[in-house]
Amino acid sequence: MAEKKRLSVAEMLAAARAEKGAAVPVAAQTPTIADGAEKLDAAESASLDAAAAVVKPAPPASSNASSAAAKSAGAAGKPAGAGGRPSIAEIMALARANNATATPVQPPLAADNKPKPAAAALKPTAAKAAVAKPAAAKPAAKLDSASILAAARAGLKPGPVSKSDAPPRPVQRQKNSAADAVASKAAPVARIAPPAPLRPIKPEAKKPAAGVEDRRGFLELAVGSFMAIGFTTLSVTGGLFTLGLARFMFPNVLAEPPSRFKVGAKEGFPAGKVETKFVAQYGVWVVNNEFQGQQQIYALKTVCTHLGCTPNWLEAEQKFKCPCHGSGFYKDGVNFEGPAPRPLERYAVHLADDGQLEIDKSKTFHEELGQWADPESYIPA
Amino acid sequence: MHSNGLFLQDVAGFLGSYYISVAIMNAVAAFVLWQSKKQVGWVVCWLVFSGVMLVLASLALSGSAELVPALPPMVRNLVNALSGPVNYTLGTTALFSMLFILRKFFVQPMVAWTILNAMLVIMGLSMADENFASIVMKPDNVPIVGLVFLLAFFTWLATSQAVVNDERIKQGLPPMEKLNDEKVLVWPDLVYTELICMVAVSALLLVWAIFLQAPLEEPASSVKTPNPSKAPWYFLGLQEMLVYFDPWYAGVVLPSLVVFGLMALPYIDFNKKGNGYYSIEERKFSYLVYQFGFFELWITLIILGTFLRGPNWNFFGPFEYWSPYKVEVLNNVDLPQMFWVGLFDRPLPLAPAGASVLTQVGTILLREAPGLVVMGAYLLLLPPLLAVTVFRKFYAQMGFIRYMVMSNLMLLMFTLPLKMVLRWTLNLKYIISIPEISLNF
Repeated sequence: MAEKKRLSVAEMLAAARAEKGAAVPVAAQTPTIADGAEKLDAAESASLDAAAAVVKPAPPASSNASSAAAKSAGAAGKPAGAGGRPSIAEIMALARANNATATPVQPPLAADNKPKPAAAALKPTAAKAAVAKPAAAKPAAKLDSASILAAARAGLKPGPVSKSDAPPRPVQRQKNSAADAVASKAAPVARIAPPAPLRPIKPEAKKPAAGVEDRRGFLELAVGSFMAIGFTTLSVTGGLFTLGLARFMFPNVLAEPPSRFKVGAKEGFPAGKVETKFVAQYGVWVVNNEFQGQQQIYALKTVCTHLGCTPNWLEAEQKFKCPCHGSGFYKDGVNFEGPAPRPLERYAVHLADDGQLEIDKSKTFHEELGQWADPESYIPA
Repeated sequence: MHSNGLFLQDVAGFLGSYYISVAIMNAVAAFVLWQSKKQVGWVVCWLVFSGVMLVLASLALSGSAELVPALPPMVRNLVNALSGPVNYTLGTTALFSMLFILRKFFVQPMVAWTILNAMLVIMGLSMADENFASIVMKPDNVPIVGLVFLLAFFTWLATSQAVVNDERIKQGLPPMEKLNDEKVLVWPDLVYTELICMVAVSALLLVWAIFLQAPLEEPASSVKTPNPSKAPWYFLGLQEMLVYFDPWYAGVVLPSLVVFGLMALPYIDFNKKGNGYYSIEERKFSYLVYQFGFFELWITLIILGTFLRGPNWNFFGPFEYWSPYKVEVLNNVDLPQMFWVGLFDRPLPLAPAGASVLTQVGTILLREAPGLVVMGAYLLLLPPLLAVTVFRKFYAQMGFIRYMVMSNLMLLMFTLPLKMVLRWTLNLKYIISIPEISLNF
């Protein structure tokens, strides 16, 4: 079906014409469509007759009848689709034929309309079709997608497609019939308003007897209103919560190590050694190494400059190696392998009054910004 | 560490049942083939294979460690020696090219079945190696072993249908999908299927959760990183990408581009063919680019990251012991270093201390000039160049905007393999390296 979804204009017209022909007995109540029915040509009415006539004798299986009807309707409008598959036009015709048999025929609304020949000719067949309806409308034993589609189109049309297709709304219908009445010089039909339901009687509030003090106003006097109580409580709670949250940010006990700490005397860091024992507690390597011709003691931050993992010091290879993406750093912290874009950072370090090395983690020094020349970033060994 | 008796005794029970299930699988296949009264030669073949599997199973279950079937050490050492990032990538690329070019051969059911059996046997023989088994049987990695087989199956399924359709289209017939286009209903057909799948998958996950314990480790610490430290298995491709790039690019820009690029595909695509049916011939360009991005740049990187990356993110062969002390020389340098120092033998341009901001910016721009020129040419000059040469037809059909989006997405995708190749061949670290503002490319 996928390749047949798009209808040509000719097919659409054919479908519309077949539809119009089939729609007449159903929609004969509106004069405009009845006028249209007058203009039906012989071929269309003949096809319609054929469609209804096939339904009439109550065939054993409705699918046979409907396919025959579809074929005849299709033959009148446009040649049937190739390959034996029903075209949209055929489906529409079939759906309309079913609809015609299934819907009881309503008499025309306007009595003064001249009896149309086509409509008159159609009426008896349509009525007979209505008689034949129970047999024809029997559900088929096996449903193929074409018949499901047809059934869906016939029964469950989601809504009017065009304005002329739309059923007249009650008010409009009244107007139309009123206009018809004026045309036939009859008395206008009076509009009858539906009776309104009775409204419950409002119970009257008990008035306090004169002289008795009204105590209901006490709370209102005290806090304004119940709404005010609610919002006051809400804002007070919110304010207290915010204050509590602010207090939470300044805990009594800080579990994290201080940013300034002492790591021992200078002599504890012999030349060429990377001290790793402070990594677990403070996240720092203390290194005594030659950097740019000067023997220095410096503290390296144990955070890889690529994505922040903690590298390992590999003594045998004399390098820091990151386990996440393989970045490598020399003993001085300069990156040389893997993706790390810049050297490890240094912490501030100085000699405290008691001769111990004190490291200040609140200050870092970046080599790429030229900060390793800063005397705060190292101690001459 | 080499395979020792204790390990082999542990793994023997598993291997025995493994070989028995392969034997049963092939016996069933032979029976089904025999029932269909076709390809009698293959029936005999699978029956014999099934028998061989039973022999292997009995060897594994014999109780003697020496008899457990395993790859000879020479083969294992050879595989280890041959494996490396370069060979791995070249090998997978060659493999996928071969599968693509000879797809008409490989989609034959009997050929595919042979390949599946070969994969299973190699897997079983490798499992007798302690290093291999310790990686493959790790609870984290089991899904990836499943992924390898599932991907192979679904790729085969889709390719075989595409090959059939291509053949039919060549003969002027409609593709298979158009022959029977009777629609099924969402309710109850699809919803019931989904319900059954849901129950089955839940049952599988329950069994999985019971038998494979969660790989829990010690409490996390900000100063202790496990070695190797691996991302969840579905992100291992990303982690491998990060080896070659700065985090902002490989961790933020490229993944976003993957998502947005995939979203943009329907709007870029101008090929009306191949809609609603499998076909390779009718959409060769789309097929190849997508498969390259998916298989080569995502799946093989996941497999590489899972099975072949060990401690310190070093590359290890499949049968190699994961030693954290493996030394690998991976020195690499930035392009400015290569250009100024290597080519002209002069130091990098350096702003004097205390220079004004403008001087510093100018110096950095001068230092990075080669990289900026290369990247500018790559992203700005290549699209128009391609438009008038290779993609002339595409440009005419797509129009300026769609062509530019397509070409830029493609060029950015190709930055990854290009950078990998440059890293391996020239030890190039970054093309543009401005660590002062954390901008590296």
